[in-house]
Amino acid sequence: MVVILDLMRMAGALAEGATGAVTISSASELDLVRRWCERTGNTLITTSPADAGLGAVLVRRGRLPDPAATLGPDRLPGARLWLYTNFHCNLACDYCCAASSPRAERRELGVERIGRLVRAGADWGVHEVYLTGGEPFLLPEIARIVADCVRLLPTTLLTNGMLFRGPGLRALQAMPREGFALQISLDSATPDVHDGHRGAGSWARAVAGIGVALGEGFRVRVAATIASPHAADLAALHDFLDGLGIARADQVIRPVAQQGAADTGVQFSRESLVPEVTVTADGVYWHPVAATDERALVSTQIEPLGPALSEVYRLFAEQWAAAGAAARLFPCA
Amino acid sequence: MSEQLLIGAVAYTPNVVPIWEGIREYFAESPAPMDFVLFSNYGRQVEALRAGQVDIAWNTNLAYVRTVLQTGGRARALAMRDTDTRFATVFVARTGSGLSGPDSIAGRRLALGSADSAQAAILPLYYLARAGVDVTRLEVTRFDSDIGKHGDTGRSELDAIDAVLAGEADVAAIGITTWDGIGGGELMPEALEAVWQTEPYCHCMFTALDTLPAERHEPWVSTLLAMDWGRPAHRRILELEGLHRWVRPELDGYAGLFAAVEEQGVTKWW
Ligand code: SF4
Repeated sequence: MVVILDLMRMAGALAEGATGAVTISSASELDLVRRWCERTGNTLITTSPADAGLGAVLVRRGRLPDPAATLGPDRLPGARLWLYTNFHCNLACDYCCAASSPRAERRELGVERIGRLVRAGADWGVHEVYLTGGEPFLLPEIARIVADCVRLLPTTLLTNGMLFRGPGLRALQAMPREGFALQISLDSATPDVHDGHRGAGSWARAVAGIGVALGEGFRVRVAATIASPHAADLAALHDFLDGLGIARADQVIRPVAQQGAADTGVQFSRESLVPEVTVTADGVYWHPVAATDERALVSTQIEPLGPALSEVYRLFAEQWAAAGAAARLFPCA
Repeated sequence: MSEQLLIGAVAYTPNVVPIWEGIREYFAESPAPMDFVLFSNYGRQVEALRAGQVDIAWNTNLAYVRTVLQTGGRARALAMRDTDTRFATVFVARTGSGLSGPDSIAGRRLALGSADSAQAAILPLYYLARAGVDVTRLEVTRFDSDIGKHGDTGRSELDAIDAVLAGEADVAAIGITTWDGIGGGELMPEALEAVWQTEPYCHCMFTALDTLPAERHEPWVSTLLAMDWGRPAHRRILELEGLHRWVRPELDGYAGLFAAVEEQGVTKWW
């Protein structure tokens, strides 16, 4: 009984959303705390006596916000599946979160395996697939990979847009227009900033690539990676993209992540990152911006994928309960 | 700004801030925009209402009764929670005490909450006396742990329960919301049981003075009554404040407290 009085006193002094601790001395007291929380609309954060450490259990005042309502259903873990098709790239951008470059090991997932992963993802409940790298257009089979994905789920392919010539153009032309979007990187309205990070001449070729993709009838999203965006630069970029015919909803601005080749940028930890399950040739990772970071490694076993998706969802649910609030969302799309 | 109604409330929990910020936000898009002021105790709040520093006070039942008595009847009841219309005091004892009904409490050691708590101090004695118990022969212990807050924190009631569990009192008088909060006899049936429960009475009340014209308070009250449990943004506030919907005043439910205040000589000031 005393534990209930302790709970009442503790909760009475807590603001909605704040957490407090009460001491329990047995598993039956933990059960009592659980039943009290259910009855009174509060949330037991500690779930097992072992987690309770020295007999202290954490209780949150009020219910947890619904992650689907807070994040949106398309941001729940498992809604998106990211696949790193390969790690090598024709560029070597200084902020690349995958540390890709022409010298990077290829680490290809492979056509067959990608097909199986997307099938497993669709069976598990994944809503959409993002293919990224490295530069996917360096893979001769990229059109087949895309077709295999689009057959099962809406798919976005991230590219620097610089290889739409010769075989790259033919691969592009072979890709489906329905259920498929290209996401091309462009960091500024003029060459200076973009070329500063991504190499001389890359801006002009990316702009040309956007034009080719639009001309071929593809939906094109343009993503800018900007360290500390100034309002004037952003406005200029939006104007420029408006001029190219890119819908505002398809103009994506994202911060630089301190991962891979980037030595400055926004820092992430698993705790602050809502997971977006990411598969590379090396394993299953928590999030695409940390796909080379050991701390973000969920499993080195890539197949079967279902258990890894479930595990990430379980870890997320725990993290959500522990944070007791919306984790800061870092979108890398 | 001069159009805004100013509502007073007492800060008895940290949640008073999100509650009133939520209510203010809800009213912002209404014909009756408002702001709020928080007080540390009901005495200050009633004083501010009388002085015209706030237009409407979110009062406990005792603060409402005191406003009526202090202003010679110039107080106006505007609205209350549905839960305020069915408040009650529950007398609890250790399980197996063998006590049942008001007669069994006669002559016992009774633990009461803060002296200014209607549910845990004033009305328990009033209803026991009405049930024929000689309250002068009770051995009363008072826990004045949240004086000024009129028992809102519930702390004094928990202290009274502690006394019963420790064997220092036979019975504790607590509000029905505290009884529900500790599980209403379901979570720990082996520890506490209800011995008797009073008839229902009314609790909190939005109170104005008759100097506030109806054309100023009526749009505010109508807007308040329109809050909807079915809408998540409203529901969050309603849940925090402990109600399903706001209702028009039911004044009959205060008769007992008016009588108790008079009988027990509870000061109409402070
Ligand atoms: S950011 Fe993209 S284009 Fe640049 S090196 Fe990395 S993978 Fe290649």
